[in-house]
Amino acid sequence: MDASLILIYLVAVPLGIAALNSLVPPLLQKVFTFFGLAYTIVLIYYLFLEPAASLSYMDLTLFTVDRLGLFVLAFIQLLSFIILIFSLHGLDKANEKKFLLLYPLTVAVCNGVIISENILLFIIFWGLSGLALYLFALLGQTADTPKTAKKTFIIIGGSDVFLIFGLVAMRFLQPGTNWSLFGLHITLNCELAWAAFISLLIAAFAKAGGFPLHTWVPDFSKDAPVESAAFLPASLDKLLGIYLLARMMTILFEINVTMHLVIVTLGALTVIFAVMMAMIQHNGRKLLGYHAVSQVGYMIIGIGSGCVLAFAGGLFHLVNHTIYKSNLFLALGSVEKQTGSNDLDELGGLGKKMPLTFIMAIIGAFSISGIPPFNGFFSKWMIYQGLLEMARDLTPAQQIWLLICLILAVFGSALTLASFLKFLHAIFLGKRPAKYNRIREAGINQWLATGLLSALCILFGLFALQIPLQKLIYPVLVESGYPIPEFLGTYNPLLVLGLVTIAFLVGIIVYLATKNVRYDENYLGGMPALEKYRITGTGFYNEIRNMRPLQQFYNAAEKKYFDIYDLGSRFTFSLSGLFQKGHPGQLQLYVLYILIGVLVFMMLIR
Amino acid sequence: MNPEYLFFLLIFPGLLFTAVLGLSVGWIDRKVSARFQFRVGPPFWQNFNDFFKLLGKETIIVKEGIHSLFLAAPFIAFATLAFIATLIGMALFFSRGFGGDLLVIMYLLMVYSVMIVMGGAATGNVYSSIGAGREIKLLLADELAFILVCLVPIIKSGYQVNLEQLLLVQAEQGVFIGSVSGFIAFVIGLLCIQAKMTLPPFHIPEAETEIVEGPFMEYSGPPLAFWKLNHFMMYVILPFLLILLFMGGFNFQGIGILWAILKYILIIVLIIIIKNTNPRVRIDTALNFFWKYATPLAFIALILAVLGV
Repeated sequence: MDASLILIYLVAVPLGIAALNSLVPPLLQKVFTFFGLAYTIVLIYYLFLEPAASLSYMDLTLFTVDRLGLFVLAFIQLLSFIILIFSLHGLDKANEKKFLLLYPLTVAVCNGVIISENILLFIIFWGLSGLALYLFALLGQTADTPKTAKKTFIIIGGSDVFLIFGLVAMRFLQPGTNWSLFGLHITLNCELAWAAFISLLIAAFAKAGGFPLHTWVPDFSKDAPVESAAFLPASLDKLLGIYLLARMMTILFEINVTMHLVIVTLGALTVIFAVMMAMIQHNGRKLLGYHAVSQVGYMIIGIGSGCVLAFAGGLFHLVNHTIYKSNLFLALGSVEKQTGSNDLDELGGLGKKMPLTFIMAIIGAFSISGIPPFNGFFSKWMIYQGLLEMARDLTPAQQIWLLICLILAVFGSALTLASFLKFLHAIFLGKRPAKYNRIREAGINQWLATGLLSALCILFGLFALQIPLQKLIYPVLVESGYPIPEFLGTYNPLLVLGLVTIAFLVGIIVYLATKNVRYDENYLGGMPALEKYRITGTGFYNEIRNMRPLQQFYNAAEKKYFDIYDLGSRFTFSLSGLFQKGHPGQLQLYVLYILIGVLVFMMLIR
Repeated sequence: MNPEYLFFLLIFPGLLFTAVLGLSVGWIDRKVSARFQFRVGPPFWQNFNDFFKLLGKETIIVKEGIHSLFLAAPFIAFATLAFIATLIGMALFFSRGFGGDLLVIMYLLMVYSVMIVMGGAATGNVYSSIGAGREIKLLLADELAFILVCLVPIIKSGYQVNLEQLLLVQAEQGVFIGSVSGFIAFVIGLLCIQAKMTLPPFHIPEAETEIVEGPFMEYSGPPLAFWKLNHFMMYVILPFLLILLFMGGFNFQGIGILWAILKYILIIVLIIIIKNTNPRVRIDTALNFFWKYATPLAFIALILAVLGV
């Protein structure tokens, strides 16, 4: 197939399906979307066979796909397809039609962003992807839905302004590139270059959910339909935001060590701030939402550090995150669809009733916490090594700065583990409330989707070097002119898993040889096991919540003092309040205003 | 897989060696603790007897719990510990890398705590759940200081993370404990492993008198035997890790054997003394202690290490 044709199809096919979907009933919508997205996966396969594909009209290059673009495209299609499998059955009936209309539309727009080389096309597609996000947010069923949708739209839409400014400013800094995004290369030596750099950074952070522009992610995760939470903030928007960041770091800008350190610091702050918030959540979706933010921190650290090993690790962490986070969202979604609740205080003990979902959730939780040999560990391991390697060539003060970021990142993953043990405990472990005694396992399409994602977690963990790194990420490095990185340490996931399994079998053999089993009730020292003795796990971290300096921090966070959107709206309202006070409705006062106005006017034109 | 790996994993320096040495050192612990309390203490074989006797007892499984997870947890923890022991032992005894570096060990050590939590909470017992919550908090408490402690040797060796390279650097430049930063980090590390082994004063998750062994409450028979064995294996793994990171490992030529034994005994005795002279602290006290005192101290060690002191 002709490569330039594939590029058109990548946008046109999902767009066409979206158009068709506006006419047909939900069942047909599902069929169309399923086969349409399956077809785009085939298209991606063809693209892999081509070294480079691009499409020009007159003398403008409209679409190009290089290795970085292809890497992101591949995961957009893969994730959209798997999340669609989950959505095939069990969607919210009221919004089913709209959801299935928006779904292929979003895929089309996201593909558009990645393949656009023309700056204007890039801006248009980027803006549309923000609009799609807003429309998904409107599909929610909770009371806070309109507020959340507005918040999402204002943060994302507001950051689009910065994107437009940044890209146009770059165009003026380097004229003669014919509106081509990839031809730009700016050194940060004047104010305009700095402004462009910071604007693009804001756009990338807002899209991916980096600190301090992350606040829409937890709210969106809580209020939008769970499928869209897995689809957008957990996967597609991460891919887009980090794609922009990676582009900035590889071709668009040339930056110095201090700026790298600043970006790494922002990443480390994202990790620690979001994970501290995640720990104390009582709503399962909000907890996952905060983790979707905190994991972005690792990607920002990796990609922003300027070290090749960490850069590769950051890209790898990006795909790992999309896989395990959508897995976790979908696992929680399965629970939610069976029990009707996502409140961690209410749920509990479902592991016996929903064993498959439980296993998938464990795999997702272990991956995100970086337990070897799952995929999350490998990418984090690469990022840490990258930072250590980077520290070698720095001055002592810079080393300490970087090491603090490293410590925050490593400790962030211990906090992630703690937070997910709470998550698992609150939903699947502990004592089951009596009302959930008749719960059954999630539908086949649901655990098939989570199962596929879990399989990817394991596959990418065990064959990290062979599949994702060598096939997908190293070509990106080669294309950007980086060397293939050497690892600092040693880690052989297959050997780890193999030997641990052998030792495990030895233990099991001893157990089976000496087995002598009796079944009995829980022992509570003679007390009856009443419902009121149930421990949900949401209170696990109360001691940390109430610790001295942290308590003030948490109280401030709960009053939304760190929410840039809330601060902004407070500022706006206080300003408009000021103007309101000036409008008491007295005629004399307005006459006075007019007089003052005339006086000022006269003084000005004098 | 290379067949000699099986020997490394199962016999020496992995599973069997660690288990036997752990159970033997457990006897020293029990004996010395007994002397602290003016008791006679058990005979040498007591820990072995306990283990095999528990293997013969029946396993009671909670009906409404998650059986597979409940049973798998102690064995996964056991397997992970056996692997970590092999990793550290290969570096100490053979100066060879073995599929993992210091970062891998730091993350694998968490698996032990995770399994305690999952296995305990799988029963639905309220005491187990309380204990599980405390286990995670204790992990969080010591982890921050432990990360800093592990970073000090990494920095001092010029940013090496491979175990055998850490040893090589110490063989060339002298042991890290000899420097100010290394010494501070070693002391903090000693407190961290005390918490990682949940020994007094940090036996908060188990707290026999309060929450009846917490996560282990419903365990009996062979699974309990393996939890006990895991505990004793930690007596080997964590001190060996400290010896590797700060004391330059072992040297088995001539007088070196004596030094090797002395290093190990020194750490064990320090652990036992701390264990026997301190009452159990509350979980918030432990968090405060590690986050507000141990961590800043370890951070000073880190700064000194960067400055080369």
